[in-house]
Amino acid sequence: MRITAIFSTVFLIGLMVFSDALMAQDTKDTKDAQKIMKKSHLAYYYAADDGVAEVTMTITDKRGKERVKEFVMLRLDEEEGGPQKYYTYFRKPSDISRLTFMVYKTPDGNDQRWIYVPSIDLIKPISADDKNSSFVGSHFSYEDVSGRHWSEDTHTLLYDSTLNGSKVWVIESIPKEKYKGFARKLSYIDQENYLPLIEKYFDKKDKLVRQFKAEQIEEIDGVVTMTVRSMENIKKGGKTIIQFSDISYNVGLDESLFTERYLKNPPRKYIK
Amino acid sequence: MKKYVILMLLILPALSLAPAAQAEIYVDGFLQTLQGARLEKDNPTATEFTASETRLQVRAEHFGDAGEFFTRLDFYYDGADTSSYAWELREGYLKFRLGQNFDFKFGRQIITWGTGDLVFINDVFAKDYRSFFVGRDDQYLKAPQNAMRADYYSPVGSWSLVWTPRFEANRLPTGRKLSYFNGQQIVGEGFPFDPPLPDAEFRNGELALRYSRTVGSFNTALYFYRGFYKNPRGVEMIPVGSEFMPQPIYPRLHVYGASVRGPMFGGIVWLEGGYFDSRWDQDGDDPLMPNSEMSGLLGFERQIATNLTANIQWQAEKMLDYDIYKMQNEMAGMYVRDEIRHLVTSRVTKLAMDELLTLSAFVFYSPTDEDVYARFSTDYKYSDELILSVGGNLFDGKYSATQFGQFQLNDNLYMKVTYGF
Repeated sequence: MRITAIFSTVFLIGLMVFSDALMAQDTKDTKDAQKIMKKSHLAYYYAADDGVAEVTMTITDKRGKERVKEFVMLRLDEEEGGPQKYYTYFRKPSDISRLTFMVYKTPDGNDQRWIYVPSIDLIKPISADDKNSSFVGSHFSYEDVSGRHWSEDTHTLLYDSTLNGSKVWVIESIPKEKYKGFARKLSYIDQENYLPLIEKYFDKKDKLVRQFKAEQIEEIDGVVTMTVRSMENIKKGGKTIIQFSDISYNVGLDESLFTERYLKNPPRKYIK
Repeated sequence: MKKYVILMLLILPALSLAPAAQAEIYVDGFLQTLQGARLEKDNPTATEFTASETRLQVRAEHFGDAGEFFTRLDFYYDGADTSSYAWELREGYLKFRLGQNFDFKFGRQIITWGTGDLVFINDVFAKDYRSFFVGRDDQYLKAPQNAMRADYYSPVGSWSLVWTPRFEANRLPTGRKLSYFNGQQIVGEGFPFDPPLPDAEFRNGELALRYSRTVGSFNTALYFYRGFYKNPRGVEMIPVGSEFMPQPIYPRLHVYGASVRGPMFGGIVWLEGGYFDSRWDQDGDDPLMPNSEMSGLLGFERQIATNLTANIQWQAEKMLDYDIYKMQNEMAGMYVRDEIRHLVTSRVTKLAMDELLTLSAFVFYSPTDEDVYARFSTDYKYSDELILSVGGNLFDGKYSATQFGQFQLNDNLYMKVTYGF
């Protein structure tokens, strides 16, 4: 019985891989897929030139227990598709309120991160080369939040489809170098606005482990924005919902905001 | 009727203001209870508890266009100390900006700079080891200073100036909850530790300066401090009747230093050095005053696995005019430290259960002093509000006179429950 089950699972997975590969053979359009993923990355992570938003993160663990984090996020794109700077000011919960966090993100992956703990007036650079570690205890990883560069994976357009009435491209991404985050990813990219509506992350046994979903998309200041997104850990259970509100774009964030000075003195113009 | 109208006229504006005021003053804080007990039976301290306290911290802040204020006020009942209510203004400052480049922070504040992890060279701001050794939160390691701080920012670096008019000493074990070495032996109850502060004179204020600049991805800094040793490292002989009694005092100190910190080898590296200029013993020949010292620190931290971070630090402190010191202490039959004191520390932090559980251990070990101090803690976030913690502080040493050896009877375990709001 068990052997049959194992066999059929393996067979099914094999079939899936095979059929996907077959589709890939059909479309053969990895170049287009590359382009789509680049555009998608820019639409999703580089909306406008800068942005400010209030963020509410609801983390539900596998037992159904909820935890809520609230913070303000500032983002400045130095170059479209290039380096970015992030600034985060935590409001809740109480044990991390007023804590600030800053990231200099570079596409080559040598990010720099700092944390400021106001209760001891301490600025601390964080040594973090593991992008897969959880973003503040949520089911999103650092990389999910700041984006994995499109050039790190080989993308293949599998097929066109529709998802909740939107036309989507289904794209398969395989890391060029062995990667802990996933072995294979399926993205459902909206053909109109290039936002990823669903992302499925598979492990090396090709088992679905995590699933990302765009829960709500709105147009803000003329920018199509994902205002609610979720990440579910299918393998271990648990889900995180990130909700953006009070979003403003192109507010003219100055580069000087992303320095030690403002890490210690939150810019009250944006963080009230 | 007229009365009502007047009353209404008074109340209405007040009512209309109330919601606005409520919205603008942001209040939060926590309630915490901490219980700790000694592990050593024959400690000469007055109490077996190293902590038995309940604490309410209220934080309030308000900001306007020109500036902001912040207060952090602690109310507590300390049953292990003198069984009484007390309160402390941990922070109470106002912050404002003049022009584009000047920031000011005036009032009671916590100040930290330098690169070390729980090892301080150029950070000559007050520490609270009474809190540090009994399991209070990390924020209590720093004692507040009543200070005026000015920061000037420019493209070629930033300057910081901190003026503390009234000298703020480190808070050291007093013998009540924690025993300590008084120059002759480890003492507890009956040996009140209360060295006199430098006179309240303008010239006795503390001045701390820093210039810092980011070069590439490295942060570099130069430091200067003019004030006093934060621990009473000197002794004054005071006449008591026909005899002279030794009285610990805070000798004058200047510190000159520099630091650099940045990413390297897949982690963070820091290097810091300082020259401790003992102003009242320039030649190192006064047996009652500390000799000048050179201190250097090298540290490295990196994430060694997912959710597992470790660091290691090495500090070397070289005493100047060591031969004179050695001769004097040998003649007096006192402990003689090595010329170069080495200290190695390591911190390991593990996050587990979706970062709800934090396991942390920190060890200080001096091969030259032959003493060790280990602290460990486990914090579990049961909910966004409730945090449960247990931990311990363990000391050991071959000699009673060394930095950690003197606390060898103070091993303790504690538990702590915090409710944040």
